[in-house]
Amino acid sequence: MKLSLKNISKSFEVVKALQDVSLEFHEGEVHAICGENGAGKSTLMNILTGNIQPDAGDILLDNQKVIIQNNQHARSLGINIVYQERSLTDGLSVAENIFPLPPTKSFGRINFVQLNQQTKALLQQLEISEFLPETMVATLSPAQKALVEIAKALATNPAILLLDEPTASLTEKETAILFSVIRTLKQRGVTVLYISHRMAEIKMIGDRVSVLKDGKYQDTLLTANCTTEDIIRLMVGRDLQQVEVTNHATEEVVLSVKDLCGKGFTDISFDLKNGEILGLGGLVGAGRTELAMAIFGATPIDSGAILKNGQRINNKHPKQSIANGIAYLPEERKTLGVFLQKSIAENIVSAQLYGNGYSVKTNNQKAREYSKTLNIRSASVQQLMCKLSGGNQQKVVLAKWLNTQPDVLIVDEPTHGIDVGAKLEIYKILKQLTATGKSILLISSEMQELLLLSDRIAVMREGKLKGILNKIETSENEIIKLAAQ
Amino acid sequence: MIKDRIVTLSATILLLCIVMSVLYPSQFPTVENFSQIMLNLSIDTIVAVGMMLLMISGVFDLSVGSIVAFSGGLAGYLMYYHDVNFLLAIAAAISGSLLIGFMNGFLITKIGINPMIQTLAMMGVVRGLALMLSGSGIQNFPYEYNYIGQVKLLGLQSPIWYMIAIVLIFSYLFKNIAFFRRYYFIGSNEKAAHLSGIEVEKMKLWAFVIVALLAGIAGILLSSRLGAALSTSGKGLELRVITAVILGGASLSGGQGKIVGAFLGAAFMGIVGNILILTRVSGYWQEIILGVILILAVGIDQLIQKKK
Repeated sequence: MKLSLKNISKSFEVVKALQDVSLEFHEGEVHAICGENGAGKSTLMNILTGNIQPDAGDILLDNQKVIIQNNQHARSLGINIVYQERSLTDGLSVAENIFPLPPTKSFGRINFVQLNQQTKALLQQLEISEFLPETMVATLSPAQKALVEIAKALATNPAILLLDEPTASLTEKETAILFSVIRTLKQRGVTVLYISHRMAEIKMIGDRVSVLKDGKYQDTLLTANCTTEDIIRLMVGRDLQQVEVTNHATEEVVLSVKDLCGKGFTDISFDLKNGEILGLGGLVGAGRTELAMAIFGATPIDSGAILKNGQRINNKHPKQSIANGIAYLPEERKTLGVFLQKSIAENIVSAQLYGNGYSVKTNNQKAREYSKTLNIRSASVQQLMCKLSGGNQQKVVLAKWLNTQPDVLIVDEPTHGIDVGAKLEIYKILKQLTATGKSILLISSEMQELLLLSDRIAVMREGKLKGILNKIETSENEIIKLAAQ
Repeated sequence: MIKDRIVTLSATILLLCIVMSVLYPSQFPTVENFSQIMLNLSIDTIVAVGMMLLMISGVFDLSVGSIVAFSGGLAGYLMYYHDVNFLLAIAAAISGSLLIGFMNGFLITKIGINPMIQTLAMMGVVRGLALMLSGSGIQNFPYEYNYIGQVKLLGLQSPIWYMIAIVLIFSYLFKNIAFFRRYYFIGSNEKAAHLSGIEVEKMKLWAFVIVALLAGIAGILLSSRLGAALSTSGKGLELRVITAVILGGASLSGGQGKIVGAFLGAAFMGIVGNILILTRVSGYWQEIILGVILILAVGIDQLIQKKK
């Protein structure tokens, strides 16, 4: 089946997630979709699976206009998706997971014989011999689970299959098995939309690759005729924003990390200087957040040392880190950063519930000051956090951490999911902070952001530090080479 | 929303009182009737204050009713069988209650047992202990012990005054002391609270200790007021108290509620109970009606939230 998108647009409040995107997917092709975080890939997937409706534009299946109402409707049209997060039930067998509505006998009893036969047939078709229909899902490896997930999607006989980062948790060998399944599908005429960050894979399995950037369609390339650099250039090439880029770093080392090991990272050593912004680049899952959480004392360290102003510090709990002058603005704002049902003022004081007194009046006063300096737009500081836009929420979280008077501020994807205007404001705030002698460790998956703000850039891959680049001497391609290989 | 709940609940209580005063002018709006209502709800309210604290932080405790029986039972046992001084007996009962609360908190936060399972199990264990201690009931306490729960001040019995004091003290603490304020943040977003430097586990452990302390005090007051320690004391208390706290504005997901809401919730239930007695409705109906009220209150809340 041929799938076309014509002039699709979708906005979430102020954020334009997709703008006038047109794409064509041919029958029986593996079509990769690339883009940085926030480029609009997930929005596109959600539109195709009926989770959300586009604001404008048409979806055509074999040149017939369709309106995909919901998930079930998408499936009945022949579109199915395998999500990045697994949706399997551990306590049931492979067959039961693949067919949530199994064949039944009288009185609604499950016909296990038929269920297992039909699962066996499906697995044979896909040339999966790794496990049996009767195998319990709990005993499978992550890769085998990914295969079950794909089989489950294929049980509905889709003409179009969406794969969202299917190899995220797979080893090389397991990826090979997955790819052979994808090739089998291709031969059967299934159109595969393949979302991935991994350039090598896209070159290996994709027939064509389309690139999105900031919600806009860039170009579609034949993978056989293009290089990884071509794709990367399309992904990142963006106009530089006007932000003051003076380097405020001095030679004095504020934070020093020595041979740090923990869950998700090994042997990390670096120095952070006074007034410096040290960028931390890498792919999602490279261990950057894990490292940040460990430095902040939110998760335990296996070995190694953290030195602040030359003194070894012992961060067993965020409480100690805050006292030691370290702040951490977490990646997932909604789940880790804010108290949505609490007011702006309460959020701002939430990292300082020590000592004894708690005065609503002083807190409001403080919150009003921060609202002014950081330009937090709200009706009043009593307004609930859930009523604010993402950008304003992030400024509140920033205010909360500035209020702890840190020397070192770790910011993890500080502009994730916020609009361009607020992004620029946050860039300016971060740069201004370094002028006042604060040091910043900036984790970002957006190349442009890293290059714009950082004085130096450390790149991580698979839990290891691959190198520290000087901003002047580096380029996006160099970072990506270190990060992705 | 929470403000609304305090207002709506107060208004409902006021409305009920006005209607009843018109319908039963000689029985309902009297000092005796009201002091009786207050006396009946004082024990529930004291425990409800602790339960409110727990529910603000997003957990609850089913063992409070058993702790009430245990506390009175232990004090009674020591005084009756071992002639222990009443002050020492009280100290022992309170310490025992604290220990139970500590065990609940420790096993939940350090070992990771689900709070419902842990406190449900503890409910059974402690009820058993209470039975062992007080058997078919202990009476004949020293005069000083009975005095604690039976003395009157300004015409009101002492448990009422204890209740008022505890509600006022905890209201103040929750408004002005950072330690208590943290419970709102824990209930609102536990992970964010951890990253804000709040020692979530330690705080939760303390919450279980505090609720057990209040249940222990309630147990002393109840046995002293009755002049007897009964192993059946506080049976079903956990459900009444949780109902009161939810009526008073707490949410099962945590982060919301005010201490005064716990009092208003208990007061509402106390007045409904009183109305049922005055209108000669069979006692069996009382629990049915309270159950229906809880479902209605939560159901209406859900409907309002869905509309939003």
